[in-house]
Amino acid sequence: MTDQELMRQCEMDTFKASGPGGQHRNKRESAVRLKHLPTGLIAQAVEDRSQHMNRASALARLRTLLALNVRSSVDLEAYSPPPELLRILPPKSTVRPSDTGPQIGPNNPKYLLGMQALLDVVFAVEGSVAEAAKFLGLSTGALSRLILANDSLRMAVNELRTSKGMKPLK
Amino acid sequence: MELRYPSFLPFSLLRNEAKLHTFGTTFLDSDNGPDSSLLCRELKWLVEDTIEDHSVLSQMSIENGKRSVRLRAGVEDLYNMWKQRIEERKPFQYIVGCEHWRDLVLSVQEGVLIPRPETELIVDLVADVVSENEDLREGLWADLGTGSGALAVGIGRILGSRGMVIATDLNPIALSVAAFNLQRYGLQDIIELRQGSWFEPLKDVEGNIAGIVSNPPYIPSDNISGLQAEVCRHEPKLALDGGLTGMDYLFHLCNGAASMLKPGGLFIFETNGEQQCKCLIKYLESDLRGSFCNVDIVSDFAGIQRFLIGFRQQQT
Repeated sequence: MTDQELMRQCEMDTFKASGPGGQHRNKRESAVRLKHLPTGLIAQAVEDRSQHMNRASALARLRTLLALNVRSSVDLEAYSPPPELLRILPPKSTVRPSDTGPQIGPNNPKYLLGMQALLDVVFAVEGSVAEAAKFLGLSTGALSRLILANDSLRMAVNELRTSKGMKPLK
Repeated sequence: MELRYPSFLPFSLLRNEAKLHTFGTTFLDSDNGPDSSLLCRELKWLVEDTIEDHSVLSQMSIENGKRSVRLRAGVEDLYNMWKQRIEERKPFQYIVGCEHWRDLVLSVQEGVLIPRPETELIVDLVADVVSENEDLREGLWADLGTGSGALAVGIGRILGSRGMVIATDLNPIALSVAAFNLQRYGLQDIIELRQGSWFEPLKDVEGNIAGIVSNPPYIPSDNISGLQAEVCRHEPKLALDGGLTGMDYLFHLCNGAASMLKPGGLFIFETNGEQQCKCLIKYLESDLRGSFCNVDIVSDFAGIQRFLIGFRQQQT
């Protein structure tokens, strides 16, 4: 989804819009708070002095929240990892075709989609890293390391594991 | 001149925050001006702008004056600037000499309108149109009433090396500020400045303009004295006063666009809101019938129908 399309699904609610705004007004309330209407998720940015910059930051944060919180169900019987997930797996994964390209990391904009798909699998196996690893052609240790390499991913997985009575990954 | 001060001095200015809270909603209540939380934020930005090395900011409260920090202005100057802010309601942006707008930092001073966050959207609208229209992207654009040069710089960066922008303003102060800003962003080869009223300096390119953008003065004359003091006491009336209905220049721009734009050329004008936009659409459909097509109103992020956008009719 493009930034524009995503913005359209959001309500920007920092405006205690008093009056016509524009030339009438010089009150720099540059903080931006986005509420994603379909999911109710809220992301905000206050650091920058420009509203435009805060909007961009808030959108980026919203994308992360969506990846962390919006789950798709997975058919484990006939599971084949989607391309966006394959791209974040290390090359040694046995389910990773050779033409997948280099492994992408958290700084790559496409990483979020891969992370979202990975969480779908982890949720489908109720937090078992060992089980998830099998579907991804990795050793348990390798998948653990992948999860621990990203704070948001680690926290989301550990939250699930804790809720299922499992120990958090360290 | 090297100014070094014990770090507690600029930060004691921040302790003025306590006093600021007694202001509470005084300005807000009197003329819809800033409340104390906004003033605190501005004070913080003022101190940040004054400190040369921003890495000291994270250690602010911890060090307690043990190290000294380099300031770009003396501490007494800082206090005086803040006094002007509170007592004269001088706009914060004129005090620090700049405004953060889109992904830019634009120089501003008395005599030049401070670019508004609403106007940021015009640059996005231009980007959308040219992304699908090579012809417009490589054409000549005009930013009328450029002020600080905000729109010219914004769209200049979108068009890249193949487009050209002519930015006009009546006020020589504005032109000098715009010149500074466009140079700061290395756009001297893309943006040309011309002094004059609206389309006057563009007669030589009549019928050849790919796009016209403008944030013309659109406030009804009688409303100006009722605005918050930062605006009505300090910002240039020339940039705000749109005549009796606020629409004098908007009509003028529509009339001009009908002949100045090349066929298929785009215009985007910022207005006061829904009423003005609807009035302009009626005008385009009656007095300027046949001149434009695909005319639309675009809302700003507060949901106000602020921008009028349209294309000059292709000639058959």
